[in-house]
Amino acid sequence: MNVITNNQLKCTIALSSLLKVMDPEIGLNIVDLGLVYQIDFNEEDKILYCMITLTTQFCPMGDSILLAAKEALQTAFEEYSIHIELTFDPAWNHKMLSDFGKEFLNQL
Amino acid sequence: MDSTFVSKTNNKTTTWKVVLPFYGYGALSFLIASFLLVCSTNNITQHYFQPNTLAIVHLMALGWGTMVILGASHQLVPVLIEQELYSNKLGYLSFCLAAIGIPLLVYGFYIFDMGWPSKWGGRLIILAIIVYLFNIAKSMSMRKQENIHTVFLITATIWLLLTAIIGLMLIYNFTYPLMPLNSTDYLPLHAHIGIIGWFLLLVMGVGSKLIPMFLISKYSNNKLLWLIFSLVNIGLLIFICIFLYSSNTLFFVFPIFSIALAVVLFVFYCYNSYQNRVRKKVDKQMKLTLLSILMMVIPIIFLIVIILLFIFQNDNELIIISYGFIIFFGWITAIIFGMTFKTLPFIIWNKVYHLLAGKGVTPNPIELFNHTIFKYMALSYLFGFILFTIGLIINYQPIILIGSILLLICSILYNWNIIMLLIHKPVKK
Repeated sequence: MNVITNNQLKCTIALSSLLKVMDPEIGLNIVDLGLVYQIDFNEEDKILYCMITLTTQFCPMGDSILLAAKEALQTAFEEYSIHIELTFDPAWNHKMLSDFGKEFLNQL
Repeated sequence: MDSTFVSKTNNKTTTWKVVLPFYGYGALSFLIASFLLVCSTNNITQHYFQPNTLAIVHLMALGWGTMVILGASHQLVPVLIEQELYSNKLGYLSFCLAAIGIPLLVYGFYIFDMGWPSKWGGRLIILAIIVYLFNIAKSMSMRKQENIHTVFLITATIWLLLTAIIGLMLIYNFTYPLMPLNSTDYLPLHAHIGIIGWFLLLVMGVGSKLIPMFLISKYSNNKLLWLIFSLVNIGLLIFICIFLYSSNTLFFVFPIFSIALAVVLFVFYCYNSYQNRVRKKVDKQMKLTLLSILMMVIPIIFLIVIILLFIFQNDNELIIISYGFIIFFGWITAIIFGMTFKTLPFIIWNKVYHLLAGKGVTPNPIELFNHTIFKYMALSYLFGFILFTIGLIINYQPIILIGSILLLICSILYNWNIIMLLIHKPVKK
């Protein structure tokens, strides 16, 4: 799934930092799971907006995943304030998995 | 720089403080029930209506099955209905009422005193169910969209309440004639409303959401779930009508057919979810859960045999006892094993490592319990269950005793892992 962004280069850096954030139940990172919908950068106010979903609403691990995502982005973009928005519109489904994610789940 | 969550979407899950007491209580009840089973092997093959059997059955159904299910459901209801739990305090209250009521009821049965312990036990359990029902209904009322899983859950809880009310009436009927017949005559009605209305319907409602979710399955079929829901409820209503208003045993074939068809369709639903899964590897907790779904078919076969024996005027007490054993120590226990080790490690992980997320390498939730103990628990359970069932059917005491000892070992190992999980302290890798 393609991530919407207003800065492709910085988005790539952000995504590579989010590769460390795992869904502990599935054992796959949130980028390849397709949980990251949008990453925008407000250069004027130095704010990074990240829109994330979860595989299931009210997932018991949800807060931990969001916290880990915040930590990972903060480490990569120290000078930015990190704003993470949780959304379920659209709801996650298996079609959002990356090719690597599909392969990973197939081989597990 | 400040970091903020700008979350417009609510994802507030139920606190572990509500959920964990239910799991701990359930584990202890299973241990005590298994111990009582070992102590009762000499008289378990007599009539099912005797103190030890009544105490074990209620400890298994309420202390074990219902308490773990209630605990897990407090955690899973938000996932199921996509809406946060209305009140954590009501969750605590429900636990406290049931935690006091269940031992009173079981003690009353064990000493066969239908006086204050059983009556107060029954009253407190009914109150606990009402509090739970209110909490769930309020949580659901906050959600606008229709959801088949919520319909299963709320209907199952209503059946549970009805089961408990009938149970209390049966206790009163011992000392004050509330009902036209003896309390023992109503036991099949009380038991089947609980088993089918509560356990079966709940397992179907929760399983139909969680099994595809954990398997990451592409399959979903709400029409089939509605059909299953209708078949179970219509079957149960017909059963109640026949039980109360007809003396012809042959008529029981209709509700059995309806419920058996629902079970077969549910197995078909789970099979399709399994076949259409994106995640190819299935962990052992899920395998145990899927096995317990298959085990739903065994009590149905026993029920058909019991009805056939009744039709041919051959009242076989051992088959009836085996039927009850297969439900509580078989199907319900297997599903709880699967569910416990699928959900509890995540609840504990959230409790212990929540604030450490992203700050270092922490163990995976799956690493929080001992897998060797789990393996031996599963093996002792499997052999204990099979041996006990065979011993009951052929009425051979030594096999029953060996089976019960294996089940006791299984309950000790289960408790061992639960204690390890409950007292887990943070470990950074």
